[in-house]
Amino acid sequence: MSESVSVAEGLGATMEPSPFGVQSKKLTMWLFIASDAITFGAILFGYSYLRVGSPDWPRPFQFSSSIVNAMVMTAILLTSSLTMLCAVSAAKIGQKSSSLKWLGATVLLGILFAVMHLREWFHMFHEGWSLSRNPLGGPVAFGATFFSITGLHLLHVISGVIALIVVGLGFQVGKLDDNYVETTGLYWHFVDLVWMFVFPLLYLMNAAR
Amino acid sequence: MSETAANHDPKTGFYVGVWIGLLCIVAMEVFLTYRALSRHALLAALLLLAVTESAIGVLYFMHLKFERRVMMWSILLSIIFVLLMMNQIWPDAYRMTTIGMR
Repeated sequence: MSESVSVAEGLGATMEPSPFGVQSKKLTMWLFIASDAITFGAILFGYSYLRVGSPDWPRPFQFSSSIVNAMVMTAILLTSSLTMLCAVSAAKIGQKSSSLKWLGATVLLGILFAVMHLREWFHMFHEGWSLSRNPLGGPVAFGATFFSITGLHLLHVISGVIALIVVGLGFQVGKLDDNYVETTGLYWHFVDLVWMFVFPLLYLMNAAR
Repeated sequence: MSETAANHDPKTGFYVGVWIGLLCIVAMEVFLTYRALSRHALLAALLLLAVTESAIGVLYFMHLKFERRVMMWSILLSIIFVLLMMNQIWPDAYRMTTIGMR
């Protein structure tokens, strides 16, 4: 066999299509999302374990303040997923300026969510809640689980906002293509989906009635 | 986007419909929270709605429905399997309610 034929065969093997039909960066993001989903699953199971095992678990969230605030935060996050979809769709068909506008809207909604979340945290600190203090009496684990889980989620939101800004700037100057916008969008939707479990389990199940 | 997903990308109007549906599910969750349901019934209802929301999000917002089947099931089954295995904690959690945390 000549050298040129063996080189061609080698290239053929390198260019073999992915069995999953996606680019490696997208598959990597999916694997990260799977592992992160399991991480959030584990801490939510841990929280549920403590809650089930504590008959005097506190229910501090009033409808007019905390629940309404969390509902608005949920709506903001869901809306940011929609704007992210619009950014990906526009990027895919080559409408770069439109995609960048939608990315900007997603970033603003993400920042708004983070600000509302931090405002709620400071309100709770003011009421006497902390990682190891429960002003209502009963298990102190409420503060530890609430601030840990919502803190980890908030960290994901802030990371997502930073990632969206970096990818948006790279996409604007042409260093990154639409596949990067789509892959970052996957992460952003995942952050939204995690909140779909945090909201009912941490807020609604602990609503004062 | 991959060829598989790109060939089946729905229009923006469809996504707006999904978004409205998800907002309605959130409203339903809050509505159920203030109904006279037992703690277990409320938890079951909220979890069912949360799983529905996440399934819609994963399949349509994250386009997993439009990827190859092998991709969709590889991701979903592995997550579902691990989360199901975590359910072994419940007998111990209920034990704590009767004998206290030790």
